[in-house]
Parts: sequence; structure tokens; C-alpha cells
Amino acid sequence: MNREELISKWLDNNLNNQEFKAFKNLEDYDELVKLNNNLQAFKADNYDTSKELENVLSAIKSKKQTSTQWFKPLMRVAAILAVCFGLYYYTTTLDTKISTEYAQKTTIELPDASSVSLNAKTYLAFNKKDWKHEREVELYGEAFFKVAKGSSFKVKTTSGIVTVYGTQFNVKQRDNYFEVICYEGLVGVTYNSQETKLKPGDSFLIIDGKTIAKEKENRIMPSWLNNASTFISLPYKTVIAEFERQYNVEVNLIDIDSEQLFTGSFAHDNIDVALKAITLPLPAKYSKSNNTITLKGE
Amino acid sequence: MGKQLHENICEEHLFSSIFNKHAKDLHNFLYYKFGNLLNPKDKVQEAFIKLWENCAKISPEKAKSFVFTTANNLMLNEVAHQKVVLKHQQTKPKMSTNENPEFLMQESEYNDKLQKALSNLTEAQREAFMMNRVEGKRFKEIAETLGISTKAVEKRIYGALAKLRKDIKEL
Repeated sequence: MNREELISKWLDNNLNNQEFKAFKNLEDYDELVKLNNNLQAFKADNYDTSKELENVLSAIKSKKQTSTQWFKPLMRVAAILAVCFGLYYYTTTLDTKISTEYAQKTTIELPDASSVSLNAKTYLAFNKKDWKHEREVELYGEAFFKVAKGSSFKVKTTSGIVTVYGTQFNVKQRDNYFEVICYEGLVGVTYNSQETKLKPGDSFLIIDGKTIAKEKENRIMPSWLNNASTFISLPYKTVIAEFERQYNVEVNLIDIDSEQLFTGSFAHDNIDVALKAITLPLPAKYSKSNNTITLKGE
Repeated sequence: MGKQLHENICEEHLFSSIFNKHAKDLHNFLYYKFGNLLNPKDKVQEAFIKLWENCAKISPEKAKSFVFTTANNLMLNEVAHQKVVLKHQQTKPKMSTNENPEFLMQESEYNDKLQKALSNLTEAQREAFMMNRVEGKRFKEIAETLGISTKAVEKRIYGALAKLRKDIKEL
């Protein structure tokens, strides 16, 4: 066996007795042993496996905790976002409500180019979100609509439903009073599940459940838009009711028949002129005290 | 191939047994290859933490090569190919009784030479040689640890020995 093979076997700790003797007799035996002995001093640091395992496990556990530490605030943010989104969704799908008080008028734009003018003491509601599918408003009171072209437009009132095919019309719904006047286009009125179609100038009027025929309307818009109320052969009580709404007053009638028909008009901006306008034709006298007005027949 | 007992190593006792089996070998491998400056203990810890984080994807058979590769890469990321200097332990083996000053000086000189010669070995030579000489591992075991053939291990170790002896004589 040659020298190289012996050294190689020695390196592999694989020498048998005989070979070991041969190895000992090699001239570089002493040198190899010295080298080997001195090499032991370069041994790696002692590695305490169980201690290091503990370190690793605790490091893993603390990492896990930090992973839950970011999870918690994330959940908080998510919760806030959820609430915000919910609130946003709720408010945007909520009906838009507009109402006017006594002696107040307003004009609003609907989600498309349509517009509505509200007379005093009127409530209007519509849904912005559903507007694309269904143009529908709820109305209590009196309003003038200018409807943009498009799909059908509905005005729901407690008395009946007004379906719009055209563009301009007035709806007035008060206690026991329901009137629709068409100014332009075509309007359908459903009352007691019967639909009546109104052409421009036509009007539909129900007082105390009775249909009342009216003359052709020849104005292009309702008079209240010009700050005046006009009545043609209407019961005096409807005139008084409108007067109360426009001036926010209470009117008492003495010796006056509230059912008698009245034709005339009053302005919305001057109470004295208006009072004269509604008392002179009867004839009657009026007296004012605070918010109460007393009309006395002569 | 026998049927696998466990598909992954996400259980702590399984993880611990793998650690006990390979951590020391890994540490020594890193130490002899890269020296002490880059803190092999930390790299072992990091590699095993990475093993745990990926435990669902790694079968027990793959765990060893995973930690070795990971730790080696962690080292390589840091090492700027600086010279590796193995630390000389102060606890000298007490071989001789005649510790006169001259002998001590000779010893110290010899150790300095040895240290330099070790630094001059290639990484591949040094890791195999030190595992063999200092840890007392057989060629076959080293071959398994490093994932190379026994013949290659023998060549590396023999080559390392020859180089060391040459360097020591010359220095």
C-alpha cells in the first residue's frame, strides 16, 4: 500500500492495525500528527443544540405574536371602513326629501334635467339611486313639474298617481282636493284605478270625491309661479285654505258660506291687497289681529 | 421510496427533532466555511425560522437541504469574500509536559502559520477538511452533509492536507 493511500485511509479514520503500523513508519508521521493535534484548537465554538432550539422556538413564537399585532389594527381599520361604507350606502340610497313651509316656495332640480317648483307647505320625495330605472316622486301639496324627455315619470300622491308622457303640468293635492292641469305634452292621471289622459289645457279636478268639469286652461303655467293664486268657480273654502298656506295665518269665517263658488285671484306678496281681493266680491269685511284674520259676511 | 409519514413539518415536535438532528452540523459547516465573524449561530437560527414559516411546503426529507441552502445563502449575502480567519481557541490540548518558553514560542508560531494556511484554503476544501479532522466525521458522512460524492470529499480533504503542509513549510 503506498503512502498516499495510507494517508487517505488515515484521514477517513479507516486504518486497520497492520496499516496503522505502516502509517506510523512513514517519514511524515510526526508532522501529520502535530498538524492534526494543533488543528483541534480551531474547533468550532461549542454549539448547545437544546439551548439554540429554545431560542428558535421563542423567536418563532414572538414572530407569531407580532403577526397578530398587525392583524388587530387591520381589523379596526376594516371595521371603520365597513361602517363608513354602510353609512355612505345608506345615505345615498335614502330618499331625498324636500319640503316647504308656510309662505315659502322653492324650485329644485331632479337628477335629470327635470325641475320641480314647490308651492307653500308642500313635501316632495324622490330616490336619486333609482332615478335611472324609475322616475318617481312622492308628493303632498302642490308642485309644478317640467319633465325632461325620457321614460315615464310618475307623481305619487295619496289621492292618485300622475303619469307623465310630456313635459309640463301642475299637480295640486290638498285635503279633499286633487287637481292636475296639463300645460304641455300629455299627462295621465290614475284616480280610483281609472286613467284619464290630459292634453295641453285640460285639467282634472276632484273635490270631496266628486269630479268637477273645468274650462280649458289657456295660461302657459300655473299662476302661483307668478306669486298669485287664481280660482275659477271653486268653493270658497279652498280659497281660504290656500290663503292660509300662503300667508301662514288662520282665517275664521263668520256668516260666510264656505261652499259658495268663487272666481278670482289673490297675490302672495301683499296681505292687504290679497284680503281685499278675496273679500270684495262676496262682499265681506275683514279684521286682523296677530295671526288670526276674521272675515265677516255683510 | 417509502410512504411519507408526515407531509410537512408544521408540528413542533417534528420541527424540534429536525433541529436536533441538523442544527449542530449546519452550525459547524457554516463556521468552517465562513469563519466566526458572520455569526453562524444567528444564521442557523434564521434558517430554521424560515423553515418554520415555510413548514407547510416542506416535507421532512427536504428540510435538511432547505436549511443548509438557506443558511448558506444568508451567509453569501453578507460575505464580501473577505478572508476567513478561524479563531484559535485558548484551550490548547496538553500534549507535552515540557512547556518551556522556547517550546511555547514554537507552538505559537506554528499555530499562527496554521491559521494563515487555513485561510488560504478554498471554502470547499476547508469545510470538508475541518469537518473531517476536527469533528471526526468520516468521508461518507461529509458527502451526505454536503450533497456530493465520497470521492469528491476525499479529493478535497487530501488536497487540503497537501496544501496546508506546503503552506506551513513555506511560511
